Amino acid sequence: MTQEGQKSKPPPPLTTEGKGKGTAKAATTKAADEKASQKKEKKAPPAGLVIPPKKPKLSKAERRKIQEEQRAAKGLKGDGTLASQKKGVDKQHADMKAAGSRTNNGNGVTSSDDKNKTLNFFSHLPPYKGHSTTKKELSGVSLGKSKNKTSTLHPAVLSLGLQFTTGTIRGANARAKAMLRTFKIAIQDYTPIQSKRQDVRDDLHQNLLKPVFNYFSNTCRTHSVTMGNAFTFLKKFVLDTEREIQLENLKDITCDAIDSYIEERICFADKAISEYACTKIVNGDVILTYAKSEVVEKLLQDAYRKEKKQFRVILVDSRPLLEGREMLEVLIKAGIECSYIFLNSVSYVMKEVTKVFLGAAALMSDGSVLSRVGTASVALMAQSNNVPVLFCCETHKISNRVQLESVTNNELGNSDDLISTQCALDRTGGTGFLKEDCSKNEVLKHWREVPSLRLLNLLYDLTPSTFVSGIVTEMGILPPTSVAVLLREMNPQDNESTSFKSADILC
Amino acid sequence: MMGLEMEIKQASAEMLKFANDPFNSNMLGGRSHIALASGCELFLKYITRCFLELPDFNECIEQIIIRGQRFSNISIAAKERIASTGTAFIQPGATVMTHGWSSVVSSLLIQAAKDTHFEIIILEGRPDASGAKAAAHVYAKAGIPTTVVLDSAMAHVMERVDMVIVGAEGVVENGGIINKIGTYAMAIAAKELGKPFYVAAESFKFARLYPLNQSDLPPMGKGMEEHLNFVDTACWISTGGAYGAPCEESSALTMEDDIHVPGLVTLPKEVKVENSLCDYTPAKYITLLFTDLGVLTPSAVSDELIRLYQ
Repeated sequence: MTQEGQKSKPPPPLTTEGKGKGTAKAATTKAADEKASQKKEKKAPPAGLVIPPKKPKLSKAERRKIQEEQRAAKGLKGDGTLASQKKGVDKQHADMKAAGSRTNNGNGVTSSDDKNKTLNFFSHLPPYKGHSTTKKELSGVSLGKSKNKTSTLHPAVLSLGLQFTTGTIRGANARAKAMLRTFKIAIQDYTPIQSKRQDVRDDLHQNLLKPVFNYFSNTCRTHSVTMGNAFTFLKKFVLDTEREIQLENLKDITCDAIDSYIEERICFADKAISEYACTKIVNGDVILTYAKSEVVEKLLQDAYRKEKKQFRVILVDSRPLLEGREMLEVLIKAGIECSYIFLNSVSYVMKEVTKVFLGAAALMSDGSVLSRVGTASVALMAQSNNVPVLFCCETHKISNRVQLESVTNNELGNSDDLISTQCALDRTGGTGFLKEDCSKNEVLKHWREVPSLRLLNLLYDLTPSTFVSGIVTEMGILPPTSVAVLLREMNPQDNESTSFKSADILC
Repeated sequence: MMGLEMEIKQASAEMLKFANDPFNSNMLGGRSHIALASGCELFLKYITRCFLELPDFNECIEQIIIRGQRFSNISIAAKERIASTGTAFIQPGATVMTHGWSSVVSSLLIQAAKDTHFEIIILEGRPDASGAKAAAHVYAKAGIPTTVVLDSAMAHVMERVDMVIVGAEGVVENGGIINKIGTYAMAIAAKELGKPFYVAAESFKFARLYPLNQSDLPPMGKGMEEHLNFVDTACWISTGGAYGAPCEESSALTMEDDIHVPGLVTLPKEVKVENSLCDYTPAKYITLLFTDLGVLTPSAVSDELIRLYQ
């Protein structure tokens, strides 16, 4: 063991780094280790970081080395993603996440890598899992030995996971609600396998709540802030019940708690937001909104039907998701006068807009808003035309994280969505139909074979608090600087300790 | 208990309606009713907090009266607190600009004058000439060197000024203020020239409003809207024949009921006159607020509001 340890320097980077990073090993073991621990590695090597080869901990590194050799023997890897230029700040976190996704994908490593070739700058973000998370994984029937626990998960969980992965269920509220409802079903059907632990609550948490949430987050699709907050609530609730509680009792009260969470924090909050926001709509308004948001839909319908205000809506949409079309349908059915434009014409119409209402995926504690990609552009355009921008956001979307820009924490979507670029220029002569195989499309269709081409499909972006005129929550309309106050008021129990809590309160 | 609360609410609603009525707008001295509304709401919240603690009705009534007294004492004492905190900000030899008549600001400046030597530039304050009146009657008496300028000269003198202090009719949720018309322009000019802009206001003026822009303000003082006099101070008649040209009776535009005031510019019916009482100054132009809760930044106002209205 020691021979091997002395032979090799701390775990060598994989062979295919064409960037010459491997040669920098000699400099510092720490640097070499950092570069070595890329997405392809099994786990983040905290131990291996600072310790020179002679220590016994090398066994872990040694094991890793063997694994790498096996993997290298297994097949080819794309070159782009292996480059170890990690610009991401939260490397540990990204590694853990990446590691999680890899452990669940047994043999799917190489294929996922190939399919998700993306920019180095964004290689710290968890990759799109739609390709590699095969239906075989999700069906619960796995032949051969599998290290993962999908076979023990409730079928409702598996079907929801599939819906998350394929994007059938999108949106912060929708995902959180669906997840909670599925938890209800799973909890009600839960029977403890072997009760090594006498504590029913702990049992429920370890054997049901945690694995299911990890499955959703690591295998299916990175969890949203709302899902995280809902899960934290659920976990806290279960673990805070009294010690001697019976399982049946626990199940009942947990399901009630879930119901009331959905009822209060989501449904009722939406109603309250709609009321507050309607006070800001006056007759003759031209309201702009972007993509799809349940809350904004609701408030526009209420303003039109209940409060009988006269206004018209400009709906901005963008590729590849084109979520605005669903919202457009709903608004047209309600009878509201709508215009539909793409994001590239926003600067033109902004002159006639009087107010902008936008939805949010998450609210950071400094008042900046995480939302669908493109929202920041709309808010920027509005701000430079002196149009007030109101974000409609329930309090369960508040995260106590602070994010400074859109790069460190984001989500990658399916790069293949960017391929189809049917445009008006592709129409054949007289027929007006789009050409089937437009020669302009060739490069994009085969983008994976082109080594110098990478596609990037980001899902979220961050709107800085300076572009936000106000945030409408169920507590009222607040300035963006008051989000931290809300967080404090909503969690009085966290204020009892005088010390600052660090960022290990995860949402 | 609930009945009592209902009655008190009704009483305050009545009072607000009365104040809002155009005929009675003089009662408020040409100001808006925002401070009145927010004061009432806070008062209600404050006194009804004891409902939960005391089940007995008579005890409750006593408590309410005691708390009511306390509330009014606090509000009266607020001015002194503000004055004592604000004087520290006025350096000797400073030039302070202010606008309109605010009892809070005047008590602050008079208090400061006892300790420091500084001078005041005050805007004339059309249409109610509040600035000129204040200068004449209050600041001069207190012995502060005062200069009165036209409202339009505000940007012209801004470079000589070291700081701007104004009062507020209402402080809104995002930390902005609603104050006499002209305050917004003053704030923009001050920000552009790098002069600090301070606001002195008591905490009962914190209102649960969130204006998005100038047109989003609550309607106030409808009766004052069309009442504006335009005086031609350089015309023949008012200068006693020194300037201008004599106007002929036939070409003179007369007002509806044939009253022709010399020197007064009368407008034909088609010309609209807009006379808003107040404007909204957004939080980004305000440096600090002096309140009886302490010296606050605009973002802290929301914090206080959330606490006050809990």
